[in-house]
Amino acid sequence: MVKIKKGGIREAEIPSSSMADIAFLLLLFFLVATVIDVDSGIGIVLPEFTEDQELVPISKDRMAALLINENGDVLLDKEVIAIPQIKEALIPRIESKLEQPKNKKLIVSIKTDRKTNYNLYIQALDQVRLAYAEVKDKVSFEMYGKKYLDTNDEERKEVREKVWEIISIAEPEKVK
Amino acid sequence: MKFEKKRASTKQNIPTASLPDIVFMLLLFFMVVTTLREIDVFVQYKLPEAESLEKIENKRLVSYIWVGRDGRIQLNDSIVQIDEIQTIMYRKRVELPQVIVSLRIDKGSEMGIVTDIQQQLRKADARRINYSAYIKE
Repeated sequence: MVKIKKGGIREAEIPSSSMADIAFLLLLFFLVATVIDVDSGIGIVLPEFTEDQELVPISKDRMAALLINENGDVLLDKEVIAIPQIKEALIPRIESKLEQPKNKKLIVSIKTDRKTNYNLYIQALDQVRLAYAEVKDKVSFEMYGKKYLDTNDEERKEVREKVWEIISIAEPEKVK
Repeated sequence: MKFEKKRASTKQNIPTASLPDIVFMLLLFFMVVTTLREIDVFVQYKLPEAESLEKIENKRLVSYIWVGRDGRIQLNDSIVQIDEIQTIMYRKRVELPQVIVSLRIDKGSEMGIVTDIQQQLRKADARRINYSAYIKE
């Protein structure tokens, strides 16, 4: 009599040793494909476009006029200044206007020529922003005893109202 | 006297069973972080450096304008002429009222082109802009 042999039960397993390799491949792909994008920059809001501009007289001591010409010379209220000094020069002027109502606070106006280098403009704008940031820090420290970035939304609003940031970007003059 | 080697009787294997899990976790992290670049940039540019930077939190709101070293302008995915910006951006702005325009302008550019772009954006009423810059060390 023929004995029917029963096959032994084979171990049915999916080999998982290469799983790690596959995962590593995927990982490598994503590592290579990742672009950690710089999405940081200096944010501003442009003024509304109007056809007819009305001229509002502004008293001289309210204005801090920054002029950058095409050679890279910088004038702050008609005096020559180096770009890294702008911050220090502006801070006392911003502070002197802190107690004034909103429509009397300092206006920083940045004006360039059409041929001015963009990098210089950004450096100057950066200095102005830094000056404001420093004053904001100082004010929030006096009011709440903490830095501006550590304040909550309400406190931040208060500080912002007090140090009202007005940066005016003047249009370059037409070439004569 | 005979010296006997001291050896633990257990197997000396690092357990690799959890290796895939660890790798998958890494993988997941990168998959979540990755934004595959869907825009090809045709212009060459080098951003300026600055200190008082802020991050754009919401990437969906952003439209990009590049200005290359040679003065060519790319708006999102195509090279455009300066006076086309207004129409394109206006359409965009109707779709997405809170659009932020990120300006990635080569640091050697002249202000003339920057101002022209800004005028176009003002006319298109896309007024929130962001001068893209690297952080200064």
